[in-house]
Amino acid sequence: MSKKNKSQANAMDDRMVAVEKEPNLFKAAFLALKNGDWAVKCSALWMGAGYLARKQYVKALIMTLYEVAMLAFIFVVGMPYLADFGTLGTVQLEYVFNMQTMKNEMNDYDNSFTILLFSVITFVAIVILFFSWLANLRAVHKLQKRAEAGKHINSFKEDVKSYLNEKFHITLLSLPVAGVVVFTVVPLIILIAVAFTNYDQQHMPPDSLFDWVGIENFTRLFTNGLTATFGYSFKTVLTWTLIWAFFATFSNYFLGIMLAKFLLNKKTKFPKFWRTIFVVTIAVPQFVTLLLIRNFLSDSGIVNSLFAQAGITDFLKDIGLVAEHLDYVPFLSSPGWAKVMVIIINIWVGVPYQMLVATGVLLNIPADMTESAKIDGANEWHSFWKITMPYMFAVTGPTLVTDFVRNINNFNVIYLLTQDVYVTTNQSLALSKAKEIDLLVTWLFRLTQENYNYKMASVIGIMVFIICAIFTLVAFRSLTKGDKERMFQ
Amino acid sequence: MKAKKIIKSVLRHGFLVVLCTIWLVPIVWIVLTSFSTDPGINIRNFFPEEYTLVNYHKLVFGSDTVSQFPNWFKNTLIVAIATCIISTSFVLMVAYAMSCMRFKARKTLMNLSVTINLFPGVLAMIAVYFVLKNAGLTNSHLGLVLVYSGSAGLGYLIAKGFFDTVPTTLREAATIDGASEARIFFRVVIPMSKPIIVYTIINSFLVPWADFVYAKLILNSGISSDWTVSIGLYNMLDRTLINHYFAQFCAGGVLVSIPISILFVIMQKFYVEGITNGAVKG
Repeated sequence: MSKKNKSQANAMDDRMVAVEKEPNLFKAAFLALKNGDWAVKCSALWMGAGYLARKQYVKALIMTLYEVAMLAFIFVVGMPYLADFGTLGTVQLEYVFNMQTMKNEMNDYDNSFTILLFSVITFVAIVILFFSWLANLRAVHKLQKRAEAGKHINSFKEDVKSYLNEKFHITLLSLPVAGVVVFTVVPLIILIAVAFTNYDQQHMPPDSLFDWVGIENFTRLFTNGLTATFGYSFKTVLTWTLIWAFFATFSNYFLGIMLAKFLLNKKTKFPKFWRTIFVVTIAVPQFVTLLLIRNFLSDSGIVNSLFAQAGITDFLKDIGLVAEHLDYVPFLSSPGWAKVMVIIINIWVGVPYQMLVATGVLLNIPADMTESAKIDGANEWHSFWKITMPYMFAVTGPTLVTDFVRNINNFNVIYLLTQDVYVTTNQSLALSKAKEIDLLVTWLFRLTQENYNYKMASVIGIMVFIICAIFTLVAFRSLTKGDKERMFQ
Repeated sequence: MKAKKIIKSVLRHGFLVVLCTIWLVPIVWIVLTSFSTDPGINIRNFFPEEYTLVNYHKLVFGSDTVSQFPNWFKNTLIVAIATCIISTSFVLMVAYAMSCMRFKARKTLMNLSVTINLFPGVLAMIAVYFVLKNAGLTNSHLGLVLVYSGSAGLGYLIAKGFFDTVPTTLREAATIDGASEARIFFRVVIPMSKPIIVYTIINSFLVPWADFVYAKLILNSGISSDWTVSIGLYNMLDRTLINHYFAQFCAGGVLVSIPISILFVIMQKFYVEGITNGAVKG
């Protein structure tokens, strides 16, 4: 059914594209300037003019107010900051003794971060104004053509109504898009900019200024010095991040499917009961379970005292898994153990969820496919690998990619399990505030929280983006190469 | 033959019992410890020596400088409800526009959203903190709600996948009957999408209960009555406090989990339907 819908949707898509074949925004605006009448040309300066000429008074008023507000913001609020954008401020905070009040007073200092922030906001405002200016030109030009052709010109009421019908997408999207711009796009631009400055503990506004330094931070990430070991740390943390993402993604994926399959098997009694038990573990908030497990497994925690009582600790010592000088199992405090443990704990956290998803997908496998395999004499193991898995792969392949990216950025599991518990003994890592167990994201977070090293944190963030982007592009390209879904239709 | 079958069945269910035990051990431990008379961590035995309700009583009625559970619960609930309303509307709005409507910027916007999603959330988070600080919204619940729900529109993909499965013919029929897009949205598509709406509501409602990092970053004043449940409980595990508050931490964990678990088990059916339809057919 879904395939049919899709092809219908595609057909509709093509039709709509054919109808919508018109010049792009830039060209349309240019044509409007060239061919429009005086009212359209006036709109280039006064955005309400085109509407006023067609007696759309309310719209003219709205556009005028919009233009005035935007220009006022850009010139009155934004410009003073934008003027300092090149230097990020020159006046350092100082206390000046004021003879009149007999007190030390602050001078009129520059705050580099405020300058950066407002400059970015002003940039965004200028871009928005520019595009709405183009769109406005096109709209008034269209209006002129309609008027010349003697067609009906919308009243304000009809215009409003169109935003509930053919322009409904604008109504729907404007607020969410604004939210994304304010809470994701602007912050990201700011931090990308910070990667090219020297914003760190020695250059913290408001007490001191920071400045542009070009790509110095990026080169630092790939080189090693006596005291700056970012090159080494980056390589170590990146390697572990990729290993972690690989194991975390695939262990959850396969074990989740196997568990789902096991519970769906007709021979399993009370499948609902078992499934509910696993679901209950999802329902307990992650930070509660993770913090609990952290204390459960801590060096002087309950598991360790039970292990010591049962002699397991000594046994692990004998076979060399625990260092001689320790009298506990360093579940979350030595590199080797901690790495294995976080992957196992992540299985505990993630498999029930994956099981739920897989259950739904498995129920959708056409029964005749597995039936016919059974008739052909395939045993369960065989049909699992030859039929179930390829089907799962075809339908959930893309989520595998997004899961991998999510695990590269899996902050919670690592941070909650190892923060305050894991201490690195590796001096080179410690110099750049990294730990063996850190992912790139936890490293960058701790750089900002413990070291105020915003410049390097931003650089690492950009590297994470690049890695995720490359991985996603490559994975999706190979996933969409053959239309595997068709095999199962 | 029959004996073999029985053995196989016993093995099968024995295996399940083992698995469930592994999965339930931490949960059982938290419940047991919450009833323990020892306020700190019991590191000797899995089972407490004596059981009492005093931890719950302290948590609910005996607020002190460290433990302000009733306040935390109230704060989190308010934030969760507000987040839930805004996020769910944003997600459904974006999903409908991207799934059911055709406009020029559609492909561009979809590609942009994919690109933005590739940036690590932690990176944006650090900058959001500065933006909120400049706007004077740190240490306020409004700021927290905005952080949780502001970018919610980016998470529209699963809902879009679900809307894609609503037959186009239905919408076309409604259009022929003279229904506007807004009417189709509210009267045709939304009523047919109960699973995905429930899924979105649960997911966004749970964000403030589960999130720890944003809350810690934004509510950083140290006034514990302003905190949410997660930072409050995390604080109880501080080195200096853990020996007096660990049992209360467990009691708090149980109290938070009960409503969420009930919600989850009831909504399980919708949850599975919503996510599979959305994830698979998208």
